[in-house]
Amino acid sequence: MQTGKSTECSLGWLNPIADDGDELHFCSTCAFSDACLSVGYGKGELMALHCLVEHVGPYRTGAHVFRTGNPFRAIYAVRAGTVKTCVVDKDGREQVLGFYLPGEVIGLNAIYPDQFPCDAVALEAAQFCRFSFPAMSALATRMPALQAHLFRLLSKELGTATFLAADHSADERMAAFLLDLGDRYRARGFSGTHFRLSMARGDIANYLRLAAETVSRVIGRFRNQGLIDIHGRSVTLLNCQGLRELAKDENYAAG
Amino acid sequence: MRTHDILPEFDAALIARYDVAGPRYTSYPTAPQFHAGFTEDSLKAAALASNEEPVPRPLSVYVHVPFCFSPCFYCGCMRVITREVSKADHYLERLHREIALAGPMFDRDRPLQQLHFGGGTPNFLDLPRMTAVIEALERQFNYRRHGEREYGIEIDPRFADGRYISELATLGFNRISVGIQDFDPAVQAAVNRIQSVEQTREVLDAARASGYGSASVDLIYGLPRQTLDGFDRTLDEVVGLSPDRVAVYGYAHLPNLFKAQKHIEAAELPDPATRLALFGRAFQRLRQAGYLYIGMDHFAKADDELSQAQRKRTLQRNFQGYSTHGECDIVGLGVSAISRIGDSYSQNARDLIGYEAALDAGRLPIARGIQLDRDDIVRRAAISELMCHGELDMAEFGEKHQLDFPRMFAAELLRLDEQASDGLVTRDETTIRVTARGRLLLRNVAMCFDAYLNQPSESARYSRTI
Repeated sequence: MQTGKSTECSLGWLNPIADDGDELHFCSTCAFSDACLSVGYGKGELMALHCLVEHVGPYRTGAHVFRTGNPFRAIYAVRAGTVKTCVVDKDGREQVLGFYLPGEVIGLNAIYPDQFPCDAVALEAAQFCRFSFPAMSALATRMPALQAHLFRLLSKELGTATFLAADHSADERMAAFLLDLGDRYRARGFSGTHFRLSMARGDIANYLRLAAETVSRVIGRFRNQGLIDIHGRSVTLLNCQGLRELAKDENYAAG
Repeated sequence: MRTHDILPEFDAALIARYDVAGPRYTSYPTAPQFHAGFTEDSLKAAALASNEEPVPRPLSVYVHVPFCFSPCFYCGCMRVITREVSKADHYLERLHREIALAGPMFDRDRPLQQLHFGGGTPNFLDLPRMTAVIEALERQFNYRRHGEREYGIEIDPRFADGRYISELATLGFNRISVGIQDFDPAVQAAVNRIQSVEQTREVLDAARASGYGSASVDLIYGLPRQTLDGFDRTLDEVVGLSPDRVAVYGYAHLPNLFKAQKHIEAAELPDPATRLALFGRAFQRLRQAGYLYIGMDHFAKADDELSQAQRKRTLQRNFQGYSTHGECDIVGLGVSAISRIGDSYSQNARDLIGYEAALDAGRLPIARGIQLDRDDIVRRAAISELMCHGELDMAEFGEKHQLDFPRMFAAELLRLDEQASDGLVTRDETTIRVTARGRLLLRNVAMCFDAYLNQPSESARYSRTI
């Protein structure tokens, strides 16, 4: 590289990574951490669960983690990066199903069909913990807390589609989308008001069933109204109460 | 302390001591760092990514018109001298192709907020040709003939009349930049540019009458046969013309790089002390006439949008110097034009043969460029803060860019401390401030943060800092 150029750059919130675990401790952001720790499992059980985990990645931007029709072997917890899941119809039109952040789990919707019913695509360099599902199921029969947690994750996954199906305005959808992302980042220990929108404008538009111009227009209006601040992909929620009033729905979680 | 509050201090001895070769930081990294590994595909990827931001940046288009009717001997630009307007048609055909290739790369809902025609001599194009280019831009970009926009053009008043200027206004132009350089007849003869005050006034009056929002003029100091008395008379005329902005550029005599400059007698050039005194005179006279010093070569009336942008801290560097619309993605069209898309720079072929060959083959004429890494982005931001606003809050900057400023820039701060001992900057625990003395040496201050300057071979490519 060039002389005199510093290579020390901390990425911080620009690239949240759930990577503080070891063989006895889950990453603090992991979807499974509180499931096991809160009920006081001992060293043996934790090590058994850790044995299921395989670190995979990094996947480059645009790379597929799995594709529709691939046999279901494992679920994936996002360690770093953002992932979108989508299906492509017979005319080649893509429909974005959801976005997954560090600490969240993809692949749960493959359990019944035993094959992946959608594509999962990395939106930026992404890394995962891969949990072998047969082994996890076996372990869950011995670890009720793990089983209960799996049920919780599944039930949450089922609830996400309802908001988008209902009749909401562009402002409502966008406000709900931003609040939901904030809540999810906060739940994983990251800032819930200052985060990066890693998904393309087209993907957000597709997910929210809006035109791309509308996404920009609404975000631009939110900025002018002082509800948010945005520089490139870095967004700050300045007035969450105002956004909540716009989203109108207590149950704004949009996925 | 903000830059608009403080009067810059003109210290000739200090400036002479800091008169080293250095970049102007219209970009960072600067053009010598651009490389051929950045291709048409890299540019397309950058354009795609720029469309995919949640709120894509507005667009700024630069169009390079490389033709001139007559050679000015000081010129260091890429240009072709001809009296035949039809000579431009071959080039315009390629330019139209480039517009048709470049336009569709950008989502149509991105407004064309800024437009700049530079040269060469943009008014080499007569009205029918200019109209055709504008109509091509209208077909491919979200062009606005009315409403909020900054559409500017560089005009050589020797080849433009009032009607031409008012017709340009109907095409959407609302900013004008007029070359003067010097009104002293002896200097004009030595640089082969004979231009009367009346010609200049006609263009500026027409611009005002047809609603142009801001008019700028260019002067050059350090030209052959230039004297303080002669330059004083030029400054009298300039103040009388009352443009909104004045740029006072230093002439860089590099005849080995720029062929036209071989016509200039080195013996007729003012000595370094006179050079400095010439700039000092411009500085003093323009200040007295109510112009604010923006930085580098630029002065503006207090109510001009450039001064307002500096007060509001929205001022940015761009290829034209300073800009009020720094947040745009810049699309450079024409030979040698530079684009800035997202965190990339790219430059078109600098020779007509390469430019035209690429377009004849159906390709965008990208010759070189650079994708900025995080280090480049952070340094560009630091340089921009210092050059545009004269101060940098290290804690705020560190928070914004997620870095430990004193640790990451330990070596840079040591270099700044040397300049602090000369009174160019001050530094406390939180803030770096450019002083009144340092404001005329912004390039030197910015150079502290340039990671590429340690390569000794680069220094010969840059003109002197003052």
